[in-house]
Amino acid sequence: MLPNRSRTSVLVFLLPPLLLYGAAVLFPILQSLFLSFFSWNGISDMEFVGLDNYVRMFVADDIFWRAFLNALLYLAICLVLQLGGALLVASLLTSLSRGRELIKTLYLLPAIISTVAIAFLFVRIYSIDPVGLLNQLLHWIGLGSLERPWLSDVSTVLAAVSAPEGWRFTGLYMLIIYAALIAVPKELEEAAVLDGASRWTLFTKIRFPYIRPVWITTTIMATTYGLRGFDIPYLMTNGGPGQSSELLTTYMYKTAFTSTDFGYASTISVFIVVECLVAVGLILFLLKRKAES
Amino acid sequence: MKNMLRAAAAAAVTVLALTACGGGSSTDPSNVSPAGEVKPREISWLLSRPADGAVINIMTKLADDYAKDHPGFKLNLITTPDRPSYIQKLETLAAANKLPELFDTDATPFAQQLAKQGKMVDAEKLLKTLDLYDDYRPGALDYQRFDDGSLFMIPFQFELEFIWYNKALLEKAGVAVPKSLDDIPVMCTSLRKAGITPIAIDGQDQWPLERYVAYQPFREAGPDFVQKLKKGEAKFSDAAGQKTVNWMAELGKAKCFQEGFSAQGYSDAQNQFTSGQAAMYNIGTWELPSLATDKLNPAVRDDIDFFTLPTTEGSVTSANEFVSPSGIGMAVNAKTYDPLVSDFLKFALQKYPAEYAATGALSPTTNVETTVPANATPLYRKALDQAKDLGSKQAMPWDTQLDPTTNGRLQQELVLLVQGNITPGQFTETMDNTVEQNAPKFFK
Repeated sequence: MLPNRSRTSVLVFLLPPLLLYGAAVLFPILQSLFLSFFSWNGISDMEFVGLDNYVRMFVADDIFWRAFLNALLYLAICLVLQLGGALLVASLLTSLSRGRELIKTLYLLPAIISTVAIAFLFVRIYSIDPVGLLNQLLHWIGLGSLERPWLSDVSTVLAAVSAPEGWRFTGLYMLIIYAALIAVPKELEEAAVLDGASRWTLFTKIRFPYIRPVWITTTIMATTYGLRGFDIPYLMTNGGPGQSSELLTTYMYKTAFTSTDFGYASTISVFIVVECLVAVGLILFLLKRKAES
Repeated sequence: MKNMLRAAAAAAVTVLALTACGGGSSTDPSNVSPAGEVKPREISWLLSRPADGAVINIMTKLADDYAKDHPGFKLNLITTPDRPSYIQKLETLAAANKLPELFDTDATPFAQQLAKQGKMVDAEKLLKTLDLYDDYRPGALDYQRFDDGSLFMIPFQFELEFIWYNKALLEKAGVAVPKSLDDIPVMCTSLRKAGITPIAIDGQDQWPLERYVAYQPFREAGPDFVQKLKKGEAKFSDAAGQKTVNWMAELGKAKCFQEGFSAQGYSDAQNQFTSGQAAMYNIGTWELPSLATDKLNPAVRDDIDFFTLPTTEGSVTSANEFVSPSGIGMAVNAKTYDPLVSDFLKFALQKYPAEYAATGALSPTTNVETTVPANATPLYRKALDQAKDLGSKQAMPWDTQLDPTTNGRLQQELVLLVQGNITPGQFTETMDNTVEQNAPKFFK
């Protein structure tokens, strides 16, 4: 317990960021919630429609459900690439004696490239006419039958737009996990090795449980970023072809700024907020239960 | 309070920076001659045109000339050439009631709502007052009109859209210029058999493919079809609608467009055609400098020609009637319209046509002669001459006609139809439902 004077100091210093947070985050969320009960195209009078927008979203909008499922798949691919890739690379890095800094820098590089540049880069990589890097590679290794227009094929486009997002942030999460891994006490690992633990056992019984708090934070970050994924898919395909790579975020944006249906777009944005909160809650619940078991 | 609420509500769903501009006094859209003193200040034009294009260059020069006699005047040009981004910016500013003195817009249902709310100056009255109205090509003005015939935008361009083709590639495939729209799928099949990409298209921007869906109904049922379709008075399941749906599916089956076209952009399509890889390319006269001058790749320069939109059997529109847009129009904000804006427009609009025609472009007016550039090929003059023989009807691009939600869905479904991912029946059902759900909100 802090002495009274210290508590006051903390409150005084916390107040400005709290106010800023309220104005920049909570107020817009509440505004969106408010707008979601209206029909409004931006220039006409706002018309109160009650829960109509929610009914339309859950019952009568095929694109919404398609975008929702796409967003979940997009998230799954991003998480596998970001967290799986990050854990793998970070674990390998701890075994490396030389060149760590170079590898860390190389892996981190995509995180500092602008998303517009990444989108254009991957559009070129996936291109079939002119032949892009991916199709060229497939041709060179004798898998020419797999060559395709990755961004025009409805069966591949979602994975194709998810990969750049996963690729982009692998380095960032790798750094976080690497920092956690090197903090695992060496004596614990040495004791386990003396007891005959294999590398796998060492990882699952010693290292991973030790970095679990960091892993939870990283998972929450990656999940919320993944659910908010927008710019790369929007720039690469604009949700197409058809609705094959439409995410809730791109759909919400288009509903607001292309269809000028601000009320309904707000309804979708409220859903995205709730979806993020539920996802974080689920992660905490599942990881806590696993830790307890 | 209401305006504040609106602005705050728009901010809740956007992070776009708003470019607020100065105020004025007049709010009557029909008051085109505001009384009072001309007080120079900075005015803004929110526009969607290429930053180094003729329109911007000329208007910058004219603004500088005007400023010499009116110290303190400045024309601030805020350009967003990417059309979808521009429209979003425009709509956000409109929602926040922060539109600048001048702004670009097509004759869309959204713009019509702005006009109905008295937010745009009556352009017909304005041009008549300035004694310029009769100088304009009727087609250039008609393109800017709303359904009710009212005119609230001023054109700065006049373009003709052709299907450009490579004679050598057609010859190689043993095909001739199509006499009918219905010949095109067969032609594509022959070109594909000869290893040639039939049509290069910018799929990323979506409007180029949407042009194709407008062609068959324009020939089959005339310009009224889209006017009815957008209000739900005509359907894709009607004869004219089915003709275009099936034709688009046939174009897809015949692999008319380059592989992976939906992810390819404007320059990709242009490069494919100008490098001799694709046989056809549907684009307007704004690309004359690339297609009909010595800038064009010498390997294909002598092989390039164009044909206008083919007719069909029983066509109700003529061969000399096709897409002839006058580009995005410029609207004048009624709220900020004052003696200065009025005086500047009078100065600029009088001088603009001659300056524009001197760049080699077709002026929206008929009182000037276009200067053919020194490096032009004979095709340049041939293209310009088409403007002298235009019919009275013009095919309107559907993206300026349909309500935004229907338009977005149409663009998405068209790609699926042409790629063979959905059947003509599924396309028809989806689109008719979409129009039914969304048209009433815009066309009450």
